[in-house]
Amino acid sequence: MGRILLENVTKSFGDAQVIPPLDLVIDDGEFTVFVGPSGCGKSTLLRLIAGLEETSSGTITIDGLDVTQVPPSKRGLAMVFQSYALYPHMTVRKNIAFPMRMAGLSQAEQDKRVMTAAKSLNLVDYLDRKPGQLSGGQRQRVAIGRAIVRDPTAFLFDEPLSNLDAALRVGMRLEISEMHKRMQTTMIYVTHDQVEAMTMADKIVVLQAGVIEQVGSPLELYRSPCNLFVAGFIGSPKMNFITGTEAANRHAHTLGVRPEHIAVSTQTGAWTGRVSVSEHLGSDTFLHVHETGLADTLTVRTNGEISFKHGDIIHLTPREEMVHRFDAAGLRIS
Amino acid sequence: MSNRTLPRLLQTPAVLLLLIWMLIPLSMTLYFSFIRYVLNSLRRPEWTKPSISNWRGFGNYEFVLNNKDFILAIQNSLLIVCSILFFTVIFGILIAVLINKSFPGRGVVRVLLISPFFVMPAVNAVLWINMILDPVLGLQGLAVGGLNDAIEGLRNAPLVGGFFSLWPDFAPISFRATQTSAIAVIIMVTWQWTPFAVLIFMTSLQSEDQQQKEAAILDGAGAWSQFRFLTLPHLSRPIAIVVMIQAIFHLSLYAEIEIVSRGNGNKNLPYLIGEFANNNIGAASATGIFAVILANIVAFFLLRMIGKTLME
Amino acid sequence: MAIVAHHSRFSKIAWPVLAWIVALLFFFPIFWMLLTSFKTDADAVKPEHLLFFTPTLENYANMTENYDYWRFATNSVIASVMATAVTLFVGIPSAYAMAFNPSRSTKDMLMWMLSTKMLPAAGVLYPMTFLTKNILGIFDTHFLIILVLSLINLPIVIWMLFTYFKEIPRDIIEAGKMDGVSTWGEIREILIPLAWGGIASTALLCFIFCWNEAYWTVRLTTTDAATLSKLIEGNRAPEGLFFGRLSAVSTAAVGPIVVLGWFCQKQLVQGLTFGAVK
Repeated sequence: MGRILLENVTKSFGDAQVIPPLDLVIDDGEFTVFVGPSGCGKSTLLRLIAGLEETSSGTITIDGLDVTQVPPSKRGLAMVFQSYALYPHMTVRKNIAFPMRMAGLSQAEQDKRVMTAAKSLNLVDYLDRKPGQLSGGQRQRVAIGRAIVRDPTAFLFDEPLSNLDAALRVGMRLEISEMHKRMQTTMIYVTHDQVEAMTMADKIVVLQAGVIEQVGSPLELYRSPCNLFVAGFIGSPKMNFITGTEAANRHAHTLGVRPEHIAVSTQTGAWTGRVSVSEHLGSDTFLHVHETGLADTLTVRTNGEISFKHGDIIHLTPREEMVHRFDAAGLRIS
Repeated sequence: MSNRTLPRLLQTPAVLLLLIWMLIPLSMTLYFSFIRYVLNSLRRPEWTKPSISNWRGFGNYEFVLNNKDFILAIQNSLLIVCSILFFTVIFGILIAVLINKSFPGRGVVRVLLISPFFVMPAVNAVLWINMILDPVLGLQGLAVGGLNDAIEGLRNAPLVGGFFSLWPDFAPISFRATQTSAIAVIIMVTWQWTPFAVLIFMTSLQSEDQQQKEAAILDGAGAWSQFRFLTLPHLSRPIAIVVMIQAIFHLSLYAEIEIVSRGNGNKNLPYLIGEFANNNIGAASATGIFAVILANIVAFFLLRMIGKTLME
Repeated sequence: MAIVAHHSRFSKIAWPVLAWIVALLFFFPIFWMLLTSFKTDADAVKPEHLLFFTPTLENYANMTENYDYWRFATNSVIASVMATAVTLFVGIPSAYAMAFNPSRSTKDMLMWMLSTKMLPAAGVLYPMTFLTKNILGIFDTHFLIILVLSLINLPIVIWMLFTYFKEIPRDIIEAGKMDGVSTWGEIREILIPLAWGGIASTALLCFIFCWNEAYWTVRLTTTDAATLSKLIEGNRAPEGLFFGRLSAVSTAAVGPIVVLGWFCQKQLVQGLTFGAVK
């Protein structure tokens, strides 16, 4: 089990309220990602759930039990930190066994669980090393191992991949996803990287300035972002925003068009512009187009075979059914 | 109960101990400073007990302020502290720059240089005043004696003898005398604390931005300009720290003065208090309160400075 | 255009030579004390025996007889070791609380603690004598000296420990909380093993400060608890007759501490500037 309920939770540091009253339901077995720019309160929210920060008001319930005043270790949660937070003076074996030792489990049980975790995380050969002798990816695995052995009701991940290099990050992302599929335990994952959010989540919670902007599955957020912030945050490259007469023609204040929903032609199209830079990624080409009269720059995503030079005039046509419309307050018009 | 209560309670023993340590003796000093209280008095035996009936108001403070030793002690305190600060900072910077470059045996040089800082103050004073500065038997006396002997020999030499016979005999300086004992204290404390300044400046120099220096070289800055416009500003915070920490230590200088001169004409505030405390407790306490005020003025600036740099 | 300063051959040699000269000058008084300690009292003041003399160990052999050295040294060891232990025992939990569970008043608390260090000892000299002699009856006891040394070093020790503890990543402490460690467990299992180096050098410095303390140890003792500072201070003016034996006892008093000091130069900087200079 692992159903987490936040009701009217707030958090203030001194006079500054970083989390205004907030409600959230995380269902059992769900992989939930908190995403948002840095300083949006996503880590604070996770730490409130963990019990590392005290709530200023409101209640947190885990499986029907009010845990608002319960110390972190008694909430049955396990956390993986951004810096891994391994105990540098203990071997990998002792690191993994530490929470069990604190819980007073028998030595035999500890050994058994350490071995099981080590096997599933490919750490068997490293059990007697200290964290300082491990690579970043291995340290990450130890941190996960330390979380797994506690058999928690939910896992909390605080930006666990941001200290890894790009290649490892993709690998670990997959491993964590597989782990979730296998264990079916509730997981809450904090990241600022919308790619991680999109690829891993069952449910994404987009936060800004402590406020939940939208909650939904990755595709819901991608297909129907409820406001300009979510529209701009989810998707890469960023959605293009167009204001002015073009928007007014479609009875909106702002239009949002994703780069991948614009067709390019050398002959004809709805809009015309001049190519400033074209970035060739191999599989794709990103065109940055100026002088369209719509926005400073329009980003267009086309296939990798297309090639334009700086200064080329091109014609662009949006896919009408994929154009998002927003009102003056930035809210979606459906 | 929140899970932070116990951890926060852990600081109470230290806080309580320091509170007692600070409040009880200080409030006693404050109380004694307002009453007539002496250790021995045949004429007024009732003054030998600390009693509220001997209330004197600000009488002790007036007595102290009108005592010429008090003004002298303040002057001396300031003279000693300011001189020590001046010399330690100057020598500290020069030596720190000198040993900042790597050269053979730098580790040993560091060890030799830092050693004086760990010598106990009592030994420091005894060592300097007897074996080095003593006008007869110390190295000073021996050096001056040797010099005089040499000149004496040269007077009888052919050719130059006439020239040297014009020279007077050199007289060694007694550092236990009224006018010179403060100088002896300044010399020995400077010797002891220059290493401290060197250590701190050197540590700070090592964190100096080398790319900034390289940029300055490319911009055509010479060695002096680099020192003046990059190194010195970089050292400003360590200099402030060295000055403030030393001020605190040296305002309460005691052992060196006691050993060098027994305070003859060379009292500082702590010494004067000790002297008053041999009999006139009221005056000693009033002087003590002045010392506390003086230290608090210094402390105020130090704490503000440290507070800014530490709690980021 | 030669803009990079080329070091001349001269400065390449002169620079280290100058550094060595300065270092030797600063070390000279200590060297001189050491040298004199191997001279007889008679040789010590004779110009012809300044550098050339027959070394003798008699000054060290007679230290007990001449000065009762070991009694004072034992007192110094007892006072310094015990005071260091007490200070750490009180200081570690306190620094832990302030480093990892700061409240709004923590900063003021630290500043206030430091300000007690700046209270001039002389200001409370008589009350301390009065209290310990007439009221508590603990004048000239080990207990008093240990207590006073602990109290005067507590602020510095807490500050030093605080700066070391602050360097421990918060995450590790929080991981411990998630893993179910109690407050004491946190100190024992995580804090002390992790900050071991910092605690050791704090202890070392505290020990040095206790050993060298020369105000309270002189003014609050007579014989029973008198330390080496008191011994040296009591023999401050030998009128040149006993330079040899005085040098020996002084060397014995400062030697171990100077050597200890060599090992904690770096920590000294961090400790005494409270981490403001690194």
